[in-house]
Amino acid sequence: MMELLREHKYLQFMLLIAVFLLMCMFVPATDGSWLWRLPPLFKQLPLMINNSVDFLMFEWWLVDVYDPDIEEYEKQPVMRQVTRGISGFILFLIEFVRELILGGVKTIVTFTSWDWATENPWARWPGLPWTVVAGGAAILGYRLSGIGLALFAGFTFVYIAIFGQWEPSMQTLSFVLIAAPMAILIGLALGVCAYKSKTVETILNPLLNIAQIMPHFSYLIPVMVFFGIGDHAGAIATIIFATPPMVRLTLLGLKKVSPEVAEAGRMAGCTDRQLMRRVLIPTARRDILIGVNQVIMQCLAMVVIASLIGAKGLGNDLLIALNRLRIGLALEIGVCIVLIAIVLDRLSLAWANKQTDYFADQSFKQRHKHSIWFMGVFLAGVVLAWIGSLVFKEGFNYLYLIPHNKGLTTGPFWQAGVDWLWDTFFYTLKGFNEWFIVDVLIPVKTAFLAMPVVATFTLAMGTGFIVGGIRSALIVGGYLLFIALTEWWDRALITSYLMTMAVLISGLIGIVAGTLCAQHPRAARWLLVWCDTFQTFPSFIYLIPVMMLFGVTDTSVLIAIVVYATIPAARYTVVGLQSVPEQLHDAGSMAGVNRFQRYLSIELPMSFPHMALGINQTVVFALAMVIIGALIGTDDLGQLILGAISEKQGVGNGLVLGFCVAFIGLAIDQILRTWANQRKAALGLE
Amino acid sequence: MSSEASNSNDPVIRCENVFKIFGDNAKRMMKESGGEVDAAKFQEQGCIVGVNNASFDVHPGELLIIMGLSGSGKSTLLRCISRLTDATAGKIFIEGEDILKMNNKQLIQLRRSKMGMVFQSFALLPHKTVLENIAFPLQVKGVSTDDSIKRAGEMMELVSLSGRENYFPRELSGGQQQRVGIARSLAIEPDIWFLDEPFSALDPLIRKEMQDEFLRLQGVLSKTILFVTHDFDEALRLADRIAIMKDGIIEQLDTPANIVLNPATEYVRKFTEEVPREKVLKIETVMDPVNPADPVSDIKVSKDAIIESVAEVVLNSSKPVSVIDSTGAIVGAVHASKVVHLLFGGHSKETSGQLS
Amino acid sequence: MKLRTPKSLRTLAVASAIALTSFTGVAKAADSTQPIVIPIHNWSSQVVMAYVLGGMFESMGNNVEYVPADSQAVYESIRNGDVTLSHEVWQSTFGKSFYNAMAKGGVIDAGTHSATTLEEMGVPTWVIEQDLCPGLPNWEALKDCHEAFATADSGGKGRWLEGPQSWHGNLMPERLEALGLADNWTVKFAGGADALWTELASAKKEGRATIVFNWTPNFTDAEGFTFIEFPEYTPGCRKEDGGDGKCGSPKGWLKKAANYKFPKTHPAAYTAFSKLDFTTTQIGEMAALVDIEKMDHKDAAAKWLADNEAVWMPWVK
Repeated sequence: MMELLREHKYLQFMLLIAVFLLMCMFVPATDGSWLWRLPPLFKQLPLMINNSVDFLMFEWWLVDVYDPDIEEYEKQPVMRQVTRGISGFILFLIEFVRELILGGVKTIVTFTSWDWATENPWARWPGLPWTVVAGGAAILGYRLSGIGLALFAGFTFVYIAIFGQWEPSMQTLSFVLIAAPMAILIGLALGVCAYKSKTVETILNPLLNIAQIMPHFSYLIPVMVFFGIGDHAGAIATIIFATPPMVRLTLLGLKKVSPEVAEAGRMAGCTDRQLMRRVLIPTARRDILIGVNQVIMQCLAMVVIASLIGAKGLGNDLLIALNRLRIGLALEIGVCIVLIAIVLDRLSLAWANKQTDYFADQSFKQRHKHSIWFMGVFLAGVVLAWIGSLVFKEGFNYLYLIPHNKGLTTGPFWQAGVDWLWDTFFYTLKGFNEWFIVDVLIPVKTAFLAMPVVATFTLAMGTGFIVGGIRSALIVGGYLLFIALTEWWDRALITSYLMTMAVLISGLIGIVAGTLCAQHPRAARWLLVWCDTFQTFPSFIYLIPVMMLFGVTDTSVLIAIVVYATIPAARYTVVGLQSVPEQLHDAGSMAGVNRFQRYLSIELPMSFPHMALGINQTVVFALAMVIIGALIGTDDLGQLILGAISEKQGVGNGLVLGFCVAFIGLAIDQILRTWANQRKAALGLE
Repeated sequence: MSSEASNSNDPVIRCENVFKIFGDNAKRMMKESGGEVDAAKFQEQGCIVGVNNASFDVHPGELLIIMGLSGSGKSTLLRCISRLTDATAGKIFIEGEDILKMNNKQLIQLRRSKMGMVFQSFALLPHKTVLENIAFPLQVKGVSTDDSIKRAGEMMELVSLSGRENYFPRELSGGQQQRVGIARSLAIEPDIWFLDEPFSALDPLIRKEMQDEFLRLQGVLSKTILFVTHDFDEALRLADRIAIMKDGIIEQLDTPANIVLNPATEYVRKFTEEVPREKVLKIETVMDPVNPADPVSDIKVSKDAIIESVAEVVLNSSKPVSVIDSTGAIVGAVHASKVVHLLFGGHSKETSGQLS
Repeated sequence: MKLRTPKSLRTLAVASAIALTSFTGVAKAADSTQPIVIPIHNWSSQVVMAYVLGGMFESMGNNVEYVPADSQAVYESIRNGDVTLSHEVWQSTFGKSFYNAMAKGGVIDAGTHSATTLEEMGVPTWVIEQDLCPGLPNWEALKDCHEAFATADSGGKGRWLEGPQSWHGNLMPERLEALGLADNWTVKFAGGADALWTELASAKKEGRATIVFNWTPNFTDAEGFTFIEFPEYTPGCRKEDGGDGKCGSPKGWLKKAANYKFPKTHPAAYTAFSKLDFTTTQIGEMAALVDIEKMDHKDAAAKWLADNEAVWMPWVK
């Protein structure tokens, strides 16, 4: 019997489930019983965090700082001076780029003063006509890649301009043009450090996990306390969110560089820096560029959230539009965000792949032809804008800047689309929705809440033990213990219920869609483009149609989560299936299997570890969406995080709640990753 | 037979009791062992012996081949000498300077001016064109773009790749890629040339072609060369001297002929058993002293020629063929019968008996 | 702890000040030229009023800057001085955040608008017109018609769709309990205002009765929204204040908040701000320009300023 158990993991698992069910049945739900719920020993933790942050920001090391506005010395904490210095620097960069495009006075003020600028009203930096920016983008696209990218970049900017989103789009663009490179550089630097030092890697790993899983809302408040409110704060929150994938992919890429290439570099006489900059990083380029792509996507995915702490631009407009239920307008704004994301991604890719031709013997004119073109476009644009100022007398010069919401609009069309959606599907879906809520969601939720704490621990740690031995069991137990000792265990159970349901659905859809698309290269490519689109498309927009159809219910929450969380499941499935070696296909065909058998017996098992990592990412994405679900209306951790923003101990509550969410993710990550790695090793995939 | 004795110059590379031991407590174990390293005992402690007490010299213009099967420590030894890895103990001199004592800066300087290396997997930079790859060591050194590109162009010509400057490595065949690797390693005109199994990843036909190319280059450039291979035929074909390694120990270091004729250990003998003599031995090993009475043909062969390469000439000649030395003086004569005997006469125990 | 500023720190302070904006070294009685930072939230009247206010300040020669901000989080920013003021502090929704920030110090109460607000549960007017629950808007009608308000996840009970729990905590569940409605009614917390408006729109399409939390003045006023008449509010009647909880919401105030330095740095602008006083009608007008006439927020503000000089000119004088 014991032998049998030791050999068959699934038997162990069955036993575990049996024990778990028995516990669920026989542990009474009595308040005060430790088997049922642990006492909230960490209740004071948020307060402590809050007090420490307050102390650091407001009380620690006070110095007298002269405030010229009120002509008094004020006690200011040093920490605040430091963080405000950083803020000022980032803000300056963003404003500088912004004013290059849109014009303004702040850059001039930085080098003079508000007094001077107020007294000299002529000292304003003029904005560029939109025609010049669009032309410039097209030339850049042409120079970096060719006519295709030129057309696409040009089209994007023209679209933005004629749909009347110029100003907010350029505000968003200037914000991303600073946040994304910073995230990329920081990510690259951290990745390189982690590559060079095992210690750094060990320290960085859990931090990255937490930064990635923790809902961005929960660090908005700390960021606001430390760095204030404005574009810089938005940029900092965005950087925190966007950097982890860059670090990971940099590290992964560097580790994959063959040792001989590194040796070749060293034998060529590279210094350490040359080796890193000119050999290792370029050789690891493929993975690093995926990192860059992820950073850009994440930056634009954060645009809306960042607007809650002061980032100007599309995000804020989107929120205002949604609050009026102007879905058409919101959709147009959403399209602008996605277009900017894709243009930036393609331009950065083209730039990284740009080659120099040493043999083309070029004249001055040829070498500078792009600059000359740009000068031409610039002059033409300025002349057009001047003509425009003569033609359009009513205050709007359409050839200079198409004012906000004065362009074309397709809003009514989309609005009609939503109405059509409702008219067509509502009654069909209503029946489904009611069945789903009454017969599926409510029973599952009740079951989750009826789990005694001891049973939950047994199940989670037991699974950890079966998969990864005592070490995994302890790690998983540690994460759960933290959550169990806060006062939010029940909330965490609800979050887990939502996440479990979402992951089941997303995983199923993602794996099926991924499998179908992987059969055909073109379909696979399309699927990946869809993944990119949905990753950046602000989920806020489809919340409203979804809520229209499914009401303020958990169904809506689930759908919102599923749309986003399916992305990694599909992506990894495609990648996993594509990485099955060709010989195996041939071997299968020679053994006479049909297509379906081949899928079941060869491709599926071989790509299973990849899919497991996809599911792992699905969990991460689902947890990240918990906060979006809360915007519909839930009673889980997400709702509390949302509420933390108005609370006295907001910083502490937000962070501790964020940790709770992150730890749920990390516990699952621990089990899935260990398992996937074992399978990978067993299949000889790594 | 010690040809190096005639090159009385100082050695370019000199290894003295070099050890390389992998493992966390390698240094401590090494100290305790007092110079006597027992691989088995080290392994118990979790240490792996890569190179065990290697000592030898390499002279200017000499081509020393380090031969061994995988895991014998040959590549490790090469990397110790190029200091891609740090030897655990011992001394390594390059042109009289102990490279283990060099700091990073000096080492980089040495590599930039004196060393070139070719790798088994080519190790080209995937993001650079062929031309940029070749120019890379020059650019790293700080040579201007124009000059480095010009020089790289010359190197392309040297390895017969002209016209493919703007190709990427992935667009070339294996043999072509290795030509790029060779051109890159030669771009800075190094004195010392390291080749780590340069032709192992190529298919046999290309390998033969590349070996010829290599011999041609060496004929033009005469570098001091350390060449690592697991292919004994290749070693015999190219080497001035061969060092045969097993489990980190150099079993024998000698000229190809001597290794074939006088294997020092059982391990070496096993290698040499199947080796066709005519491919290794030079004419001088089968020539007879000049006998003025004998009629000699007008044909002359060099005493250093490998028998296989001149066998046809000798066999087709009705009279014995004269053997000359490098100055052109006649030093002996070769009878066809001797060559026939060597070619078809089975094992040449007796031949070896005649020698040395 | 008192420390003289070390030199390096002073440099740092100078550097950051330069980076942030710059020094205005000269002492003046007039307003500082530093921009007044006005927050922009996500509802129309607030955004229009922000631009109206900005226009007023600009007419006085002040520099103005607008910054988008979360409506709950903004009070912490006012406290820190990152945002100068807030011109729409709704009693029941933001009162908690406002007082929390005041308690920490740094925020001052800059007066109250004439407009009164009401934030209460209610139904779209057509629900009453179609008589889906006879007796409404009197709350007692709820005793008998909970079925009309049931949803799939309410377990057969009638559902109140309340705003996020962070707005008024457990006020509504407690009220249900106190009024003896808890057996047949339940409260669902929505995640945000979007969810409330979506529910209104979708209920209307479906012709289904719904009770949602709402407030006035709001853009929903135009479509017709009726608040339920609960027993009148008296101070102390709520459970959290020790009362029996059998009461509705009070007519709420609409306040203005400012950073404590604002009166010192911009005395003239502050005086105007403290005089600023909108009525419910005026706020409704501003919202209507955007919500009904579909104007851009800035254009709406410009139009309002041009049409109502008589109203705001006295404030800036």
